[in-house]
Amino acid sequence: MTEKLLNEEIARQVKEVFAQLQEPVEVLFFGRKEDCDYCADTLQLAQEIVELSDKLGLSVYDLDEDLSLAEQYHVDKAPGLALAGKDGDQISDYGIRYAGIPSGHEFSSLIHDLVLVSSRDSGLEQKTRDFLKGLEQPVLLQVFVTPT
Amino acid sequence: MALESPLVQAEMVEAMEFPELAQRHQVSGVPQTTINHGAGRVVGAVPELTLLAEIQRALKNA
Repeated sequence: MTEKLLNEEIARQVKEVFAQLQEPVEVLFFGRKEDCDYCADTLQLAQEIVELSDKLGLSVYDLDEDLSLAEQYHVDKAPGLALAGKDGDQISDYGIRYAGIPSGHEFSSLIHDLVLVSSRDSGLEQKTRDFLKGLEQPVLLQVFVTPT
Repeated sequence: MALESPLVQAEMVEAMEFPELAQRHQVSGVPQTTINHGAGRVVGAVPELTLLAEIQRALKNA
């Protein structure tokens, strides 16, 4: 058996946070067979995370073999994770994704984002919501982070 | 924001794994948020309304 990436203490804490989960969330993993140093670890991490709540699901895809799906979710890097809402059989893309392994600070961002997507509510200020409602052109936000 | 609008995409990019992209966007400090491939940019974890203002500025200049 491979060693767990999340130790018992972390798993326990994440489970506690996941008590807040409301609606189901589907995590879509996109890997690549070659030239992907972090694909295996990212997949294992995603598996360990979704195991901590029955409201979370994981689907595993290949960036090259499932290209049209990857394009649909705007995933163009491996490893890539998309956090989507799941309502019955319906998967709703919210345009929230991670490129690269979510470790370090990004691990807590990922846990936070899972809770956020599960709530289906951003918690944003009214001013921001009003702006988003009137938005007419696409906005791509790329947040660059480092693991430490 | 992505959660609230179908027009907004939010991508968290691990800069060490994708150094070329990070370099292209001249990432100097993290977190750095790039708006529409460089039309706007904020460095650091800024308040929500600061990011909103920068997005509005970036869209105006586009």
